[in-house]
Amino acid sequence: MFVHKVWEEQELSKISNIKMPFPMISDLNGAIGKKYNVYDETLKLNLRGTFIIDPEGIVQAAEIMSAGAGRSLSEIIRKIQAVQHVKCTNGKEVTPVNWEPGKQVLKPSPELAGNVWTVWKK
Amino acid sequence: MKVQDKAPLFAANAYLNGSFTTVNLADYKGKWVVLFFYPGDFTFV
Repeated sequence: MFVHKVWEEQELSKISNIKMPFPMISDLNGAIGKKYNVYDETLKLNLRGTFIIDPEGIVQAAEIMSAGAGRSLSEIIRKIQAVQHVKCTNGKEVTPVNWEPGKQVLKPSPELAGNVWTVWKK
Repeated sequence: MKVQDKAPLFAANAYLNGSFTTVNLADYKGKWVVLFFYPGDFTFV
């Protein structure tokens, strides 16, 4: 917690002029990381895991990177938009590979099985 | 933790806006949450 405070004041505030709007949680012994399968016992650190949880408390997406490789925030936002779209349509519309907002969705049905090629726009 | 299962609950100390507080995942029910793990402050990525 104390290190979060100093890090925010000493470095983060110099990288961005927006103050950190999110709580920075303290997970010193990896208790939370262990629950999410991201705590590395050898390094005694949490790996770079990102979890998207819906309003009912269900994990809708998970992504884990090893410690040295950073994430893509635009991809995380895309994941949020995709799972939100599927959830908000109750699965009536699903987001295919490489989907981004505005791109084609698919509407699952028995008729569509084997026939995606008939509706797929290149 | 498994995708499509309930997210494991937790409550922990946190730093926000200059003060120390606690965060309880259960309080966020009804909202979308992104849980963002990283190894440590002052690391380079």
